[in-house]
Amino acid sequence: MINVLLAGFGGLGDQDHQTAMYLPAFTAHPAFRIAGVAATHPADEPRALAAAESAGVPYHADLATALSTVDAPVVSVAAPAQTRTDALLTAVRAGRHVLADKPFTPTRAEAEQVVAAAEGTGIVVAQHHRYHPMVTAGVAALRGGTVGLPWNVQVDFVVAGGHPCQDELLNFGGYPVDVVAALTNLPVLRVHATAAGPLTVLALGHEHGMTSTIVVGRTAPRAGVPEGRLAHHRYRVSGSHGVLVLDATKPAVTVSTASGLDRQWLPVDTLTGLLDDLHAVVTGAKPAGPTLDDALRTAAVLDAARRSLTEGVPVATDGGTA
Amino acid sequence: MERCFAELAERTSSTDAELAERTPNTDANAFGVVIVGTGMIAGLHIAALRSSTRARLVGLVDTDPARAAAASLANGGVRATTDLAEALAWPGVDGAIVCTPNGSHGAIAMAVAAAGKHLMIEKPLATSTAEATAVVDAFRERGLVLATAHTHRVYDYSMAVKAALDSGQVGEPQVIRATLLGGWIWGDWNAWVLDPARSGGHQLHNGVHLLDLVTWWMGATPDSVYARGRRQTATELPIYDYLEMVLRFPGDRVAVCEMSRAHRPSTTGHRDVLVIGTEGTVALPWDAEPSLVFGEQGVTALPPVSGSAFTRQLDAWLDGTPVAGGAEGLAAVAMAEAAEQSMASGQPVELTS
Ligand SMILES: NC(=O)c1ccc[n+]([C@@H]2O[C@H](COP(=O)([O-])OP(=O)(O)OC[C@H]3O[C@@H](n4cnc5c(N)ncnc54)[C@H](O)[C@@H]3O)[C@@H](O)[C@H]2O)c1
Repeated sequence: MINVLLAGFGGLGDQDHQTAMYLPAFTAHPAFRIAGVAATHPADEPRALAAAESAGVPYHADLATALSTVDAPVVSVAAPAQTRTDALLTAVRAGRHVLADKPFTPTRAEAEQVVAAAEGTGIVVAQHHRYHPMVTAGVAALRGGTVGLPWNVQVDFVVAGGHPCQDELLNFGGYPVDVVAALTNLPVLRVHATAAGPLTVLALGHEHGMTSTIVVGRTAPRAGVPEGRLAHHRYRVSGSHGVLVLDATKPAVTVSTASGLDRQWLPVDTLTGLLDDLHAVVTGAKPAGPTLDDALRTAAVLDAARRSLTEGVPVATDGGTA
Repeated sequence: MERCFAELAERTSSTDAELAERTPNTDANAFGVVIVGTGMIAGLHIAALRSSTRARLVGLVDTDPARAAAASLANGGVRATTDLAEALAWPGVDGAIVCTPNGSHGAIAMAVAAAGKHLMIEKPLATSTAEATAVVDAFRERGLVLATAHTHRVYDYSMAVKAALDSGQVGEPQVIRATLLGGWIWGDWNAWVLDPARSGGHQLHNGVHLLDLVTWWMGATPDSVYARGRRQTATELPIYDYLEMVLRFPGDRVAVCEMSRAHRPSTTGHRDVLVIGTEGTVALPWDAEPSLVFGEQGVTALPPVSGSAFTRQLDAWLDGTPVAGGAEGLAAVAMAEAAEQSMASGQPVELTS
């Protein structure tokens, strides 16, 4: 069993993925055990205390003390935006492996700083959608040549309702960008972004001339879609020899009653795969490099997207002009 | 025949074949039409004319004498010529329906205007903004009705989407996705569509369909176009068989248009519409088909039989209120031209209204 310290209980806006996602996932995972809880900011305290109590582990009001007290090789960082980068730096400088909530850091520069500080330890960013069984099946099909050489991917990643946050591109953008990275493993060289209210359209240029277009963001609530859940989550990969269409809103049983229509399916687990990957990195079964690369690549795409939105032109992810 | 088109778009117009069986209108008072260019799409216009009680086919023009003769034979020996001027001078001609390759549209349209006849011209209206503007001006000056055959506006699917948007239920569209994917590459290297001088390139040939549609659905014209093109079927293609065009509309609204002849398998017929509005979503997913055939070609859609799109289009022209007029035809050409510039420069291109 690997001990885990839960650090930070915030995110963008009023998010608390630590309580909602990582705490239950670590608790359920056979290879991990929660060993302590730390606040990173006064705003964390009530939730951190509640988590410590529910997990029956010690609570620490600051991360540095927790790190020197709790024997935990893994830190799960889901700190509020203001303390996120500091918490990540503190954890990696203390030689700990990190499960990092998304968005990894507010900016690309901070992502680079954290990765540079992580000598010899692993960082897995919780882009958990790449562990969706639909995506892992898609990855296997693509590597097996099912549609030949991919040359375009179209994506809709649209959440309906829930709590809007200031920067939905930062909030959600990493998910589809990361899934496209998982599907194709083709780094993004160029980004053109266009704003559409709470949605953003990202036109990406990848290695080997592949292009992708991603519609990402949040809309007002939609009937039939639970608040804050994905109304559209699909990928179409066009390849030299065929087309792969993935739609995570399927399969579903439709249940119709006098009061409405509902689509239901069994819960889809994307967190076990994430923690399995973290476990592989922590135990050395998998090199830490690729997950660090993925984190940096996604941060670079979001950074370029922001620049493109401001400048109105395509932007190169290497910092140059596109 | 643009087979993919038939598969993708004519899901609504399968009665055209039946219409072709009907007796032609011989009423001399009916609106007299000459068809210019007797290829694939002309057949559908002729079928609509045959079923019309208001219009009649007076004759046919095709610069290829063999095609002119064959088309005459297929249409009960109706008069036919290789000379446009001669046809426009035939008695009883009130208007022309032009179905020639795109590059010839501008000059033919100007000749029709000069002869004082009404015009329905296949899309694109012309292959440059300058030429399209001249055509629009010529018809406006003479008070003649100019229709651009943006046929997708009269298909059931686009009208259903438009009706859903007009109902106001979904608020303002914020993102529109319009996708038409096919894999049939217009024949071989001899196809005129592959020659940019004759077709204007894919953005003008088929791209205009989607550019026009999203403009119509959005109820606005875009202020910039960012387009990417791809030569997927062969690197030597002189045009892009896959087009992706991102249009930015005033008020932070965006449309993503994908038009393809690049997809595999070649039987691909994939249409997908998604409109995300401020208050709701309109979706017409690729698999929204009532009838499917599981055959040796794989799974294909069986087009439902409903009203003829080409009849709707013809009637609107005869009413003097075309589904898409000169202004719409010109706007589509301007957007396609901007898309072409964007693909050449790799940068978004601003559109001036
Ligand atoms: N609205 C739609 O959905 C749709 C679909 C397909 C084609 N089109 C348009 O219709 C037009 C014709 O396409 P098609 O597929 O029928 O082409 P086609 O090649 O089948 O037919 C063109 C015909 O025009 C004749 N022609 C060539 N130049 C001429 C000229 N200067 N004068 C008279 N005849 C001439 C050719 O001999 C040929 O018979 C094009 O503009 C195309 O973009 C529209």
